[in-house]
Amino acid sequence: MQERTPILEVRNLSTSFRTDRGVVTAVDDVSFDLFRGETLGIVGESGCGKTVTSKSILRLLPEHLSFHSPESRVMFEGRNLAKLSERQMRSVRGDRIAMIFQEPMTSLNPVFKIGWQLDEALRYHTDLDRSARRRRAEEMLDLVEMPNAKERLDEYPHQLSGGMRQRVMIAMALCCEPDILIADEPTTALDVTIQAQILRLMENLKRELDTAIILITHDLGVVAQVADRVLVMYAGRVIEEGTVFDLFRAPRHPYTKALLDSIPRAGNRRRGQRLATIPGIVPNLFELPAGCRFQDRCLHVEERCRTEEPAHLAHGDETHPARCHFPLDHA
Amino acid sequence: MWRRILGSRGVSKFRRDKFALVSLAVIVVYLGAAIAVALGAISRDETFARVGPNSLVGFFETPTVEQRIAYTDFYIDQVRTAGERGDDALRALDVYGLEPRFSEAEAALAVVEPLFERFEAVAIASEGDDGLDAAGLARLSEVEREARTLWVEPSGWQGTKRALSLQLGTDRQGRSILLRALYSIKVAAQIGLVAALFSVVIGTALGGAAAYFGGVVDHAIVWLYSTFSAIPYIVLLMVLASMFLGSPVENTLIPVYVAFCMTFWIGPCRVIRGEVMKLRELEYVQAATTLGFGRMRILLRHVLPNTLHLMFINFSLLFIGAIKAEVILSFLGLGVKDQPSWGVMIKEAGQEVIGGFFWQIGAATFFMFVLVLAFNVLSDALQDAFDPKHVG
Repeated sequence: MQERTPILEVRNLSTSFRTDRGVVTAVDDVSFDLFRGETLGIVGESGCGKTVTSKSILRLLPEHLSFHSPESRVMFEGRNLAKLSERQMRSVRGDRIAMIFQEPMTSLNPVFKIGWQLDEALRYHTDLDRSARRRRAEEMLDLVEMPNAKERLDEYPHQLSGGMRQRVMIAMALCCEPDILIADEPTTALDVTIQAQILRLMENLKRELDTAIILITHDLGVVAQVADRVLVMYAGRVIEEGTVFDLFRAPRHPYTKALLDSIPRAGNRRRGQRLATIPGIVPNLFELPAGCRFQDRCLHVEERCRTEEPAHLAHGDETHPARCHFPLDHA
Repeated sequence: MWRRILGSRGVSKFRRDKFALVSLAVIVVYLGAAIAVALGAISRDETFARVGPNSLVGFFETPTVEQRIAYTDFYIDQVRTAGERGDDALRALDVYGLEPRFSEAEAALAVVEPLFERFEAVAIASEGDDGLDAAGLARLSEVEREARTLWVEPSGWQGTKRALSLQLGTDRQGRSILLRALYSIKVAAQIGLVAALFSVVIGTALGGAAAYFGGVVDHAIVWLYSTFSAIPYIVLLMVLASMFLGSPVENTLIPVYVAFCMTFWIGPCRVIRGEVMKLRELEYVQAATTLGFGRMRILLRHVLPNTLHLMFINFSLLFIGAIKAEVILSFLGLGVKDQPSWGVMIKEAGQEVIGGFFWQIGAATFFMFVLVLAFNVLSDALQDAFDPKHVG
């Protein structure tokens, strides 16, 4: 990465939930930067804290059940989003940072027309008059390559397919030209061809509007396709960070390596050979082991891993850090 | 626009359902009647006015000899007693829609006295062991005819109105059962509408707020409705109704409204709270949050419109529920007081039924039954026609 100022700076973000069994920290000391025009992928298994991280940035978690640690900082345009009032936060949401969700089938309000829903965001965040907003909504639908944009404005969500709904969602998220788009598993619920279209669309839009994207997914294929940089999360921590090229070519953390190995590949598999998996399960966040959180599933575990948790920059390479005492060497 | 609505799948399915159309027509007729009464077609005073002899039987029952004698007695005795008290009493004689033919007491008595003697003779004869023979019956018919000539029957619209008001008979005080039953439509519609509307609005507001804001708000509202629903419903209604005893609104419908709203909001509140709890986790609500909308806006514009179907269902359930509850409450003497209602009629019919006089209780229950049935058939048909899960 060149010397640029990041548009979003996340430092020591910890998010905890109050539960009946006590406090559980779902996101633990996560730090990263996001630059303008970049796509940052966040990958990891279910329950590793990807979604909580993204929702913490926009403060979408229920306030009476969750809290940030005092040293958590989410710096955006010189303001710490973690400390803003709810009112100030509202002017950030939608206008400056927008988000799209995994489930396009339920992401649109079933009782209102598409046009009304697009219009509402514009009405809320801009001073445009009615006809201008209508034109803008139509432009946005054109931009997301929606066929017959004009007629679609008067249709209800149930008249659209999943892929089309996801396009509408993207149009809604982008209609105020936000600086950052957070996409939480945007293609998981779509079939593969639509998935490819949506990813290509996001790629084009990023270039056109110069928006930074945080792409949350468990699909390494998607990450390889669109992300510039990748964070790998495990049990609430970032365990490896690097450019997509570095990370895929030379994973440093054994977990990343195991994830990459478990992608099934067509062709080079012997008959009867089982698909590669990572043995064991993610540790229970209530009973985290001392030392490295991956110790129980790691093939290279040593005594030190059981007592001492590795630091973020355990081995000193700033462009490709990994939380491991014994990073894999690909030299 | 109309063409599109009438041609849509749900509406055309509904239009093919004969029962649904009949029940819709019935409800429209009821609402029309309620509006007409509200606009003054039947005044409250008319429902309390005496229109004829007491306990007159309705149109498809032939009165017994005993009843015929009682009715004739009414027509003769009214003029006779008034005549004996003088000119003023005769002129003040007030039977709704009827006037005595005489204005001079002397002239009246000259005609009435001989007639009364003949009537007495027939009445005494009828009380004998064998009752009246053929000649006796002929004399009774003659006396009846002559008794009616003591009065001026109104003509034209007034005459029709009077004839109609006697069609379902009269109660023990000679008041028209039909007029009272028709007037009760307005009372029922009024109570149903007010109670259901306010209950749904209160229940939706509280249920929506409880589920959407959660935390303390939720605890408070859940506590409130748990407490209310822990008290038996009739007891609560009785307490609330008796709370108003002695207050200036005691005899109006306000105690009934208050009692119903305080108990009925619980149903919609629970249902809407559950639905909103589900809805607020849905992605489009989160999406609205990520678009930066405020919480009230999201609740009012994005969450509550999705509970509209529940509001409608609850409204129609409570509408009928309130009408039925009014009957129970009035029967206990705690509901409607200074105007007729089906409950009041059933209560008053209590003593009549023992004597075999069923017109009043029959009319009140029939009017109520038809409305409740039509409502249930209609809501069933609406569900069949419009519920997306019943496509086909």
